Amino acid sequence: MRYQPVMGLEIHCELLTDSKVFCSCQNEFGGSENTRVCPRCSGMPGTLPLLNKGAVKLAAKAGFATNCTVHNYSAFDRKNYFYPDLPKAYQITQFESPICTDGYIDVVGGKRIRINRIHIEEDAGKLVHDDYEGISLADYNRCGVPLIEIVTEPDFRTVEEVQDFVVQIAQRMQYSGVCDARMEQGSLRVDVNISLMPYGSDEFGTRAEIKNLNSVKSIGRAIEYEIQRQSEILDNGGEVVQETRRYNENHDDTKALRSKEEAHDYRYFPEPDIPPVLFTDEEIEEIRKEMPELPHKRFERYTEEYKIPAEDAKLIIAQKAFSDFYDEAVSAVPEYKMISNLMLGEVSHQLNETGMSIDEVRFSPADVAKTAEMAAKGVISKGSAKDMIVIMFEKGGAPEDIAKENGFIMDNDTSGLDDIIDGVLAAQADVVEKYKNGNEKLFGFIMGQVIKAAGKGANPALIKEALTAKLK
Amino acid sequence: MNLIDLRSKLDNKEIGAVELTQDYLKKIKERDAVINSYITVCEEEAIKMAEKAQAAIDAGEAKPLTGIPVSVKDNICTEGIRTTCASRMLEDFVPIYDATAVARLKAENFVMLGKTNMDEFAMGGSSQTSYFGGPKNPYNVSCVTGGSSGGAAASVAAGLCAAALGSDTGGSVRQPSAFCGVTGLKPTYGTVSRWGLIAFASSLDQIGVVANSAADTGYVLNSICGYDENDATTSKKPQGGYTSMTGGDISKLRIGVPKEFFEGTDEEVKNAVMKAAEFYRALGCEIIECSLPSLKYAVAAYYLISSAEAASNLSRFDGIKYGYRSGLGEDYNELIKNSRREGFGKEVKHRIMLGNYALCSGYYDAYYNNARRIRTQIRNEYASIFEKCDVILTPTAPTTAYEIGCQENDPVKMYTADICTVTVNIAGLPAISTTCGYDSKGMPIGMSLTGKAFDEKTIIAVCDRFERDFDRRECVL
Amino acid sequence: MFDEKLTAHMAELSKLSFTPEELTSMTKDMTDIIALMDTVCDFDPEVKPYALSAVDYEDLRADEHSGSYPAERILENAKNVKNDSFVVPKVV
Repeated sequence: MRYQPVMGLEIHCELLTDSKVFCSCQNEFGGSENTRVCPRCSGMPGTLPLLNKGAVKLAAKAGFATNCTVHNYSAFDRKNYFYPDLPKAYQITQFESPICTDGYIDVVGGKRIRINRIHIEEDAGKLVHDDYEGISLADYNRCGVPLIEIVTEPDFRTVEEVQDFVVQIAQRMQYSGVCDARMEQGSLRVDVNISLMPYGSDEFGTRAEIKNLNSVKSIGRAIEYEIQRQSEILDNGGEVVQETRRYNENHDDTKALRSKEEAHDYRYFPEPDIPPVLFTDEEIEEIRKEMPELPHKRFERYTEEYKIPAEDAKLIIAQKAFSDFYDEAVSAVPEYKMISNLMLGEVSHQLNETGMSIDEVRFSPADVAKTAEMAAKGVISKGSAKDMIVIMFEKGGAPEDIAKENGFIMDNDTSGLDDIIDGVLAAQADVVEKYKNGNEKLFGFIMGQVIKAAGKGANPALIKEALTAKLK
Repeated sequence: MNLIDLRSKLDNKEIGAVELTQDYLKKIKERDAVINSYITVCEEEAIKMAEKAQAAIDAGEAKPLTGIPVSVKDNICTEGIRTTCASRMLEDFVPIYDATAVARLKAENFVMLGKTNMDEFAMGGSSQTSYFGGPKNPYNVSCVTGGSSGGAAASVAAGLCAAALGSDTGGSVRQPSAFCGVTGLKPTYGTVSRWGLIAFASSLDQIGVVANSAADTGYVLNSICGYDENDATTSKKPQGGYTSMTGGDISKLRIGVPKEFFEGTDEEVKNAVMKAAEFYRALGCEIIECSLPSLKYAVAAYYLISSAEAASNLSRFDGIKYGYRSGLGEDYNELIKNSRREGFGKEVKHRIMLGNYALCSGYYDAYYNNARRIRTQIRNEYASIFEKCDVILTPTAPTTAYEIGCQENDPVKMYTADICTVTVNIAGLPAISTTCGYDSKGMPIGMSLTGKAFDEKTIIAVCDRFERDFDRRECVL
Repeated sequence: MFDEKLTAHMAELSKLSFTPEELTSMTKDMTDIIALMDTVCDFDPEVKPYALSAVDYEDLRADEHSGSYPAERILENAKNVKNDSFVVPKVV
């Protein structure tokens, strides 16, 4: 039997703050064991949490990026459970009064996915398992790293909707400066709740929660596997167990996690050490004003105003830095298509080749804009524009200088061109003969010979014109 | 000798700071084997601190607490000096930072004589749940000191320090001060930073002062109070000047006497407190009978809130990061269960069990949330009393100090004995306890004055006025 | 009503272990204690539960990092340390 999958997401994003959420230790990925730890984040007796204003601000921005209501009043609670990566044996989170609620994002097919809430919480530490000795080693560097958790309603029905949502969340968080959204590093973590119900039913089945999904691709594969697994259970008259399952990339399957299920009572209660936070309307408005243009708005601008093809626009907005670079270039020279082509062509190619990111290159958006402008005005050829990008990658330099030094400036002086063409036609008399007898494909060859003879600066358009006239 | 006099003797070089400290250390050696008010005596450190204090005095840089020998309750973190909470769990725990209250006293070059005995994790009213054995009442060593700051109160009463830092979650400074015949001040919640106070119940805990007089408690509070960026629950209201009203005219004040606090109270206690009311009336104060109708819910609400918070606060003790680690336990779960089983005493386990019960799904609304509602109600009832009164007079405890071993093992009896003190913590108000008489066995009787939030100076002045005319008995050791 | 099953469940949540005798005695104590706590159960549900008064966003701690503690300070009270980490027995 085929079933209707019903899915909801819980997405954790590590916030791009300078310090941790409840102490002043640096918030940074990695580091040697227990070196970014203080009495507070290691939960020493007598210590108290101190809420980071920056984390609250970024959580509010996450709310604005997802059409949520950002609340004037939000409060913190303790979620109590024992686990060795959680030194206080409770996680400070927001349960009763989260900072943001009631948002949404539209995904593929125009479907609206509702966001239930976004709340602030602290990350736990890391355990390294030493199977040989049968012990684990606890490192608290990650303890207290600020997180937001984005919780959706169970509105997803297809893998594509889920994947599009995750990609959009990642981009919006990155654009808003909330999170760098690196799934492979764990700075954005997605848990999928999934259940099945017969088509036509409106009664949800029992759900399983899948964790450890570190790419958009694994999300798709894990969901496919889970649909298969649950379908088989239901087909055989069995019942799906409500549990947490871990996706294993190597086996491409999900396995039930044993731990901490037996005592699943988190005993939430208001955190007595952190007073609730009060936002004035003005403060909320000020943060809203700081919001940058979001990726879906940029997409609209690129496709509607700049007439960039949707596929290209999608590629440009995928990374904020790349899109920012593009925006800066087109604001210097409004050659939207030419710049887009250069950036998605030779620039992207070189970035892939060199492994560099766009903010590491030797040239500026203005340089790319200048190059595009020169090509558009016929100062250099389009082919030379690509060559210039390669040179800019290698050595940098002003586009005008590069063009001059390398003889890319096209020679628009046609005097002497006649002699060159005549020379070539004489030397290739037999080819010319064949061309004139109807083999039109040979025009390209003859054209190439003329360009070769004319040198780099030759203007292909002018040559073509002159050659066509001669061959008539 | 009061602290102001001690200050001028130190400043006038009539006493040296080192000599003064040595005097106290000598007395501790002589008397504390019996009283057991200290868990740790910091002999070497105290002398060093006294030397530093003397240097400051000699340089003309004395501050109010410079060179004054003080004891610190053993749930207040002291860098490099073990802080046990009177528990096997923290028997050898050495904090790597100072509590703010201690840091502020250190900044004034005070002298820390040692860390005082208490109920394990401050949970109790007798100090007999200490893993190190309970302290004894200096007025009668077969009696309890009260608790949980029993060591602090006994150390002051027995002359083993000039003043003491304690902590008060449900009466833990005031009740032992009453039992030991000294003065104990519990400040308004948010007055003294809780940074470094090992949490029992975070929303109720407050560091307080035990001393020989109301004026002395205010004197010490001046040095430890005030906003602390390490504790988000400290108040930014301007603070200090706590003794500014002592010696002034209090005859215009209205003193409320809530009748419910006298129900179920020993006759001798009741009479002594009513006599104090008469004393104030004779001064010209208006004595107003008033009511706190929700007192009947207070003990249960207090135990539910404090135990819920305690269950959570004490979950961090798992034997892995610090504290007692059991030798038993092959896996994580077994190790922490055994560490906690062996590291915590029975009363602590009662509170953890109760707290988790109150927070459990299915029970949360009936217990924990109702306790929160009662908390709102009690705060409202105090607010309406303070519309017509300036301070409230009550007994500090329904009885005087009882014999060791007679009721500490009955949790319900112990809990109900907290009836006179817990509402002040529930409402976050300041209160001070002083001796207002002695029972037929010669044990001190305590009365408490409760004030409006952040109005410590009024209750200190009213208490001080009584103490000026009251003949406090020295305990004979 | 507190019975041994409930006590055992609370003990599990509390991460405390008890011998059978201790469990019996704890159950008795808890029964007495809960009887005292029951006085709150009939309280007026209309009263709003108390919450800490709020602070303004402006007054929160500024987002600036400062130094952490050296690992050896963080670890100095631990009984079992390896590779600058806290040693935890296997989590089953």
